[in-house]
Amino acid sequence: MRLAQHPSHQVDYSKSLNFIFNNKRYKGYEGDTLASALLANDALLFTRSFKYGRKRGLMTAGVEEPNALVSLEIGGRYTPNLKATEIMLYDGLSAISASNPNAFDMRAFIKPLHRFMPAGFYYKTFIKQKVWAKVEDRIRAFSGFSKAPTEEDVDVYDYIFHHAEVVVIGGGAAGISAALEVLNNSQKERVILVDERSQLGGELFNEFSSDEAAMKWHKDSVNRLLSFANEDSERFTLLTQSTAYAWHDQNFIEVLETITTAESLTSSEPQKARKIVHRIRAKEVILATGAHERPMLFEANDLTNIMLSQSVRRYLHEYGVISGKKVVIYGNNDSIYKTAKDLHVNDIECIVVDVRSSEDPIEIVSELKDSGVKVLQGYCIVKALGSQRVKGVEITQTKLQDNNWQVFGDTQTISCDLVATSGGFNPVVHLDCHNGAKTYFDEVSQSFLPQQERDNREVCGAVAGAGAWQDAIIDAKNKAQFTLNALGAVSKLKQEILSENYSNYFNVSQFFTPKEILNKQKVFLDLQNDVTTLDVALSIREGYRSIEHIKRYTAMGFGTDQGKTGNINGIAVAAELLGIPLSELGTTTFRPAYTGVDFGAMAGREIGDFFDPQRYTTIHDSHVASGAEFEVVGQWYRPWYYPETGENMHQAVHRECLAARTSLGMMDASTLGKIDVQGSDAREFLSRIYTNAWMKLAPGSCRYGLMCNEKGMIIDDGVSTCINDNHFIMTTTTGGAASVYSALEMWLQTEWSDLDVHLNSVTDQYSTVAVVGPNARMLMKLLCQDVDFERENFKFMQWRPGTVCGVDARIMRISFSG
Amino acid sequence: MLLIHCPYCKESRDQSEFSPAGAAFIARPESPEGISDEEWADYVFYRTNHKGNHWEQWVHTNGCRKNFLVERSTISHQILQVAPFGARNSETEL
Repeated sequence: MRLAQHPSHQVDYSKSLNFIFNNKRYKGYEGDTLASALLANDALLFTRSFKYGRKRGLMTAGVEEPNALVSLEIGGRYTPNLKATEIMLYDGLSAISASNPNAFDMRAFIKPLHRFMPAGFYYKTFIKQKVWAKVEDRIRAFSGFSKAPTEEDVDVYDYIFHHAEVVVIGGGAAGISAALEVLNNSQKERVILVDERSQLGGELFNEFSSDEAAMKWHKDSVNRLLSFANEDSERFTLLTQSTAYAWHDQNFIEVLETITTAESLTSSEPQKARKIVHRIRAKEVILATGAHERPMLFEANDLTNIMLSQSVRRYLHEYGVISGKKVVIYGNNDSIYKTAKDLHVNDIECIVVDVRSSEDPIEIVSELKDSGVKVLQGYCIVKALGSQRVKGVEITQTKLQDNNWQVFGDTQTISCDLVATSGGFNPVVHLDCHNGAKTYFDEVSQSFLPQQERDNREVCGAVAGAGAWQDAIIDAKNKAQFTLNALGAVSKLKQEILSENYSNYFNVSQFFTPKEILNKQKVFLDLQNDVTTLDVALSIREGYRSIEHIKRYTAMGFGTDQGKTGNINGIAVAAELLGIPLSELGTTTFRPAYTGVDFGAMAGREIGDFFDPQRYTTIHDSHVASGAEFEVVGQWYRPWYYPETGENMHQAVHRECLAARTSLGMMDASTLGKIDVQGSDAREFLSRIYTNAWMKLAPGSCRYGLMCNEKGMIIDDGVSTCINDNHFIMTTTTGGAASVYSALEMWLQTEWSDLDVHLNSVTDQYSTVAVVGPNARMLMKLLCQDVDFERENFKFMQWRPGTVCGVDARIMRISFSG
Repeated sequence: MLLIHCPYCKESRDQSEFSPAGAAFIARPESPEGISDEEWADYVFYRTNHKGNHWEQWVHTNGCRKNFLVERSTISHQILQVAPFGARNSETEL
């Protein structure tokens, strides 16, 4: 449902767009995501779940979305498993659910059996019984993911390298503030600001309707940044719709930029790149990656229209969209009251359920109560009601006693059609951890915060624990001052004062994990992989203790969302069941990539003809003219055989072998490596490199040599010719040419730098032809008149200079083909 | 992906231009014929797999093709210094 227009909305109501989802036509607006446009059309069902085939709707509004996977477009532009929350709408868009929620589904059909399918079910039933190979195809077809593409990708992709003094990752309030602080206080430092969304602002839009100061600060700051980007583009680069997905050693950051417009995806004309990988080398990094909200746990918490509280706010403020008329807002921190206030202002009926009791009443609670919003403190949701879409919740009283949550009293039912939950916040520490940082569990914010001190890196805003936007801005300025100081741009640090308790994420309470709820069926932790609290309990009963093992046994935290909403809750549940503190259990390892990266974007332009160099010999054209088939050896295209009409390979090879044995055969051997060895110690050098002796090889002679490495393994062989005492030409195998050349250089530079030897690769400079067979000598006599080919005058393993058909040549009498 | 300063080209370039060539300062036995199999095996195969600052050899394969010395932390992958061959102790600008 779309609400009346408001200045906080980031959609352009004058530009209406048509799109197709699951073969139905819809309308949206410019600035919508696919997810917001579908919510506005009351199309709530997005997919079926991975294992149980449960119908699912949206849970979030951003990158952390576990459910709403779709495939975009068809044919050569088909892209599987994108999150509907990340696809910016364009005219003519067409998308299909990864797993159609409206079709018959075998997984849902066998619902009565679901309780016999806990974690490890497929392994125990099929793999352990050794029947996996027979059923794998059929089982995989059930999974809740898109089909793999079948056609060649018609789009182009690119990558760009950047160098910058400062990279700011995250374009919310903190990131904007940090980038501006650096730009305003430095002269020539290059700054890159990266944000995954199309509009800078992050979660700040959520404050617009209740706080005019937020709107004003956003407008002024973004304008200032845009003027830097336009007027001083050497210094400032702004990358929006760009996700920093990996942070490697020495501040090497990879960013995937998505450039999706109606023109780029529906036109058949050659276009600009659809996606670009930016490879950035930074001196200093400021992480302003924010935090993801985590859901509350209760039975059937996966029903459609149970969403995260801040995501409900985001749909409301950024897109003017709400998917319910009567909302239950449920959580363990003060942010839920802001959601309630925003909904109430928009005349949407809401009830707040807070697990914390009302010991310290805060202003916003009494304000809400006075305006008629029902607030239940010390209550929790035990179960969501409804078969697909949530129709109500069962609540009961709760209290925190001796560090344990207790549930007591009678249950009551509240009807509703949307539940917004907030179980605290998880700082987005992923990138920091890619690069080796550790997290630590912070009791105050009930979250795994990034390691405090690190070289060349600052963290600011929500990722550092700041809740309120005003604090995020100040924190970012303060941290940017440290960065400027590290760069030598400022010598005196300016530090502003933060508000009291700024880092407790809106007074978040301890993880809500009462045993009465954890022991219920269908309390989902990871919605993408259908992992429930009972699965975690089972893995612990089966003896797993490390969170890394529990993850792998249950599949919690795998998939395209990598457990961004569910993982930390899962860790809290495991800690509760194991009876150890969260700080002791720790997190699983965060590895690149933060989000999915297209193979096309990784390959860039290095596809087709540019995938690998193709090397041709100088007489390649004559092979083509003779109808040769070619084989690829390394990068060389070497003639393989020359079929005559109707011949297959075996017939042609037989005929050619017979010719070589009985009369004459020729082969283009130009691909053999050739190394020109010169210097007064050339002879000594060959003696050290080869296993055999070279000291007495006379000019005009050749010798076969065998090359070993220090381990005694043969690495190459070939014939070397002595031109004179200071000059030899070495031949190597085709495949060994580069590595032998490198090895020889290494010996000369490191162990034998006293030798007077110079090397030069001349593989491409000489064409080589092997002439073999009983009639070889006869042919050579015809082709070359200035050499005496008689046996006694031109001995085996000798070479002679000569002219072959007018071309200068070195003719060697050697055995090549046995 | 490292950024490596080549002491010959005097430029910092991407790791993809270079190849690693093992630990540095592994002395080749003076007379290989005169030593035992154990001593030879020790020279050819056995390395300390050092944790911390570590001297190693790199080659600027797609550049000047020179071997040079790099002191790198095997924990943080930070490169502490580079040096041309045979000049281990000289100061090198980075």
